Amino acid sequence: MATAGKKEKRVLWIISIPMAILALSCVYPVYFALNNALKDNRGYILDRFGLVQNPTFDNFVQAWTRSNLDTYFLNSVVTTVGAVALLLVVSSLAGFALAVLRFPMRRLIFIVILASLMIPVQVVLVPFYQTIIGLGLLNTRTGLIISYTAFFLPFSVYLMTSFYAGLPRELVEAARIDGAKLIQVWWYVMVPMGRPALITLGILNTLYCWNDVLISLLVLQDQRTLMVGIAALRGEYTTNVPLLSAGIVLAAAPIVILYIIFQRQIVSGIAVGAVKG
Amino acid sequence: MSATAARPATARPVRKPKKASYGSRAERRFAFLFVLPAVLLVLVFRIIPLIWGFFISLTDWSGLGEAEFIGIDNYAAMARDPNFQDSMVNTFVLLATLPVWIMLPMLLAILIHQGVPGGKLFRAVYFFPAVLSSVIVGSIFNVVLRFDGSFNALLGMVGIDAVDWLGNSSTALFSLIGVQLWATFGMSLLIFLAGLSTVSKEMLEAARLDGAKLWQIWIFVVIPSLRPIIEFVAVVTTIGVLTNMFGLIYVLTAGGPGTATTLPEFLIWLEQGRLNRPGYAAAISMVLFAFMGGIAYLQIRIMSRNANI
Repeated sequence: MATAGKKEKRVLWIISIPMAILALSCVYPVYFALNNALKDNRGYILDRFGLVQNPTFDNFVQAWTRSNLDTYFLNSVVTTVGAVALLLVVSSLAGFALAVLRFPMRRLIFIVILASLMIPVQVVLVPFYQTIIGLGLLNTRTGLIISYTAFFLPFSVYLMTSFYAGLPRELVEAARIDGAKLIQVWWYVMVPMGRPALITLGILNTLYCWNDVLISLLVLQDQRTLMVGIAALRGEYTTNVPLLSAGIVLAAAPIVILYIIFQRQIVSGIAVGAVKG
Repeated sequence: MSATAARPATARPVRKPKKASYGSRAERRFAFLFVLPAVLLVLVFRIIPLIWGFFISLTDWSGLGEAEFIGIDNYAAMARDPNFQDSMVNTFVLLATLPVWIMLPMLLAILIHQGVPGGKLFRAVYFFPAVLSSVIVGSIFNVVLRFDGSFNALLGMVGIDAVDWLGNSSTALFSLIGVQLWATFGMSLLIFLAGLSTVSKEMLEAARLDGAKLWQIWIFVVIPSLRPIIEFVAVVTTIGVLTNMFGLIYVLTAGGPGTATTLPEFLIWLEQGRLNRPGYAAAISMVLFAFMGGIAYLQIRIMSRNANI
């Protein structure tokens, strides 16, 4: 961008002050959750905003065991891992076919998959719920895995298709060899070639599945995932804030770790749709 | 500038002219096999339910037993339902705030790109709330925005009187909107930064040599060349506010007080589950779909144009 003059530099310094305050607000949740999670209830009531005086880990123990967060955590891990794995397989297979192979109705199929973006879960809430019941998937982790895959699929297919379509032409033609070897071409050529896009999708879909509430509320009613469990920790009138905070720390920890390790991939994944669009 | 101009210069030209040249039989057969799982999932869980939902919306079905065909009665009932009307008013208030959702991250992105002190750190930190679940954000703000919460304590230090942000029907909706904006602006900011990196350097230098001030360059050079990005952010944000606020409403306000923060997506869930009126819920879904349709059409057009297939 154009270089700033001396006076303009001073203005930028002044502008950076409100921007720094905004940045502080963005990390405030970390302070809120960690600080309150380490207080006991009495300590919280005596001093709600200040730093913790006598740190205790009781809230974590209580959240994990008595509030059933251990079960919810397991449910979240199983459904997130299952759905992300399924999403990667289904979308790279579809992307391979749509971008590389030649077959009738290719463009139509691509448009139909994209068009389903227009149908978020709220728009089909009632019939979707009936479909889940009809297929015997209600209150099963398998049901939630399949539901996540169905609702997060279009963007994944889009990204894999446009990634494979951007590969060098010669490679694509070489991949169009005959016969049943196409499965091997997918596994030995397309999956390794697609790694950057697959990693991005893996991370983004992990965020979406782990953070979901609505689909999980519908499909896994009697077992709960972590986010539904956290929502339930919040009482209507009286909330045990230290206990809730401990739950938040446990529920957010995997995502925060992912954010710290894969920040670059998350950023490029978010940006890819835009610069291409 | 057209939307395609934002494409990196290395990308191949737009799709080649269509020919009816299909691969061998085996290639065709395997291609169908490969797209089958994706097509089936989308058909069974989204497209067929959409059609089925339309038929449910024409009945008085209560979730169990026989459904009776009642024509457009559900739709007529909406016109008399104060809850539905309130949810529509709330939606329009929400949509009226969209310029802020677009301009705030754009302004911040321009400032960071311009090299505001601490810009790199800001970029990383601003994005942090966007990776947190809406349940986590909502649970924290449910405590922070209470009458005796830390937000009012902070305002008290600068002499502003405490407000019951979530319990007061005149502030609850704006609190909900504010929290969602705070939680997601980092995402749009990243998109704007990606767009800014494609703005032509020569053009900026030329403007600079002509003696243009920084703010003039922003308004007359930078922002016009960001047009495709602005369009994209506008579409994605609109879809986001129409369909991604359930989690936050669920934990922050539960739609209240009264119907002050009830949006259609939350009302659909209430009618379907707690109020056990799936027929009516399906009808509200159709209205939401009509809202979505036009906006999502734009998004799909942008995406399919750029997928290069």
